[in-house]
Amino acid sequence: MASLGCAFVAACLLLLVPFSSAGESCLKPTVEHQIYTTTEAVTSTDTVFLVEFDLKCSNAIKNPFLYADVSGRQLPVSRSGDNLYQVSWVEERKNAPAGTYTVKLFDEEGFSALRKAQRAEEDVSTVTPLTSIAFSHKGVSQGPIVSSELLAVVLSGLLWYAAYSAKQRILS
Amino acid sequence: MKLLALLGVFLLVGVATSQDGARLLAAKNLLNEYLVEGKDVTVLYSIYNVGSSAALNVALTDNTFPDTDFNVVRGKLSVQWERIAPGSNVTHSVILQPLKSQFFNFTSAIVTYLPVEDGAEKSTFTSAPEQKGIVSLKEFDKRFSPHYMDWAVFAVMTVPPICIPFLLWSMSKRKYESSGVTGKTRKN
Repeated sequence: MASLGCAFVAACLLLLVPFSSAGESCLKPTVEHQIYTTTEAVTSTDTVFLVEFDLKCSNAIKNPFLYADVSGRQLPVSRSGDNLYQVSWVEERKNAPAGTYTVKLFDEEGFSALRKAQRAEEDVSTVTPLTSIAFSHKGVSQGPIVSSELLAVVLSGLLWYAAYSAKQRILS
Repeated sequence: MKLLALLGVFLLVGVATSQDGARLLAAKNLLNEYLVEGKDVTVLYSIYNVGSSAALNVALTDNTFPDTDFNVVRGKLSVQWERIAPGSNVTHSVILQPLKSQFFNFTSAIVTYLPVEDGAEKSTFTSAPEQKGIVSLKEFDKRFSPHYMDWAVFAVMTVPPICIPFLLWSMSKRKYESSGVTGKTRKN
């Protein structure tokens, strides 16, 4: 009778396992990230931000579904391997000045809390993300401000003026 | 007008397929004005769900960039999303570096997904940017670099025709002045 009871309990626990693991969230998340942002105007017509990261949880959760929030815009995060993720977005150049950008990462629970706060027009900063990645964007270089041709014209003009004024001085 | 037509097509597709779950439309675009050998190229993939339900297990795979022609700088050419909600879109970008200057035919990537849960897997192709020319770095520099070296060489070349007459003149002036007959004394 006791063994039957044990078996029942074990069966119940086994049934609970998938539910508990599905609802479990990533504990003590750590991320290792690599960033790419557009630095040269020739590279891209718009500014591209690309963040690749590797998520590690202390409770060994595998491949949780993640959302990212970048300056109030929500983006689904794509997964490229086991716990390897990528989030990328494209911004018009005038909307992407140099500076620090923060990518907040949310799991499904956190994301629904964020959406709820947005719908209720509450302060979204109260919703704590799973983790966040901050990086700086150096801005996009458009090449030298003064073109070399212009510089050469100005220099040759100065040289001509020096020679001409010297000639005038000698003649007078 | 173009936008309206596009919207119309999207709506039509949406109406036609609203009965059978998710339907994805995918685009592949290059965000560069010039493709240059050894300089970063941005490839942007945009996937729209125009169906009535969420697309599940969406996988994007692009095998059209051979290792001999392209080097992946950042990003992955094979990614997946667990779900894409109806009426929403996702974007993905990859940074590549072309290794050769050539005409390269940029073809479609493949997107596979489940239109309904427990349904059969569906696959679709992205749009293709088609044939584009990759300019060699030398050619690109010729057109767009500041040519500092060229101007420096030009400046060095202009030194003899300016300096030799000047030196000759200043030497004769010094000789003239040292002979004791100055302009002022001669005038008097």
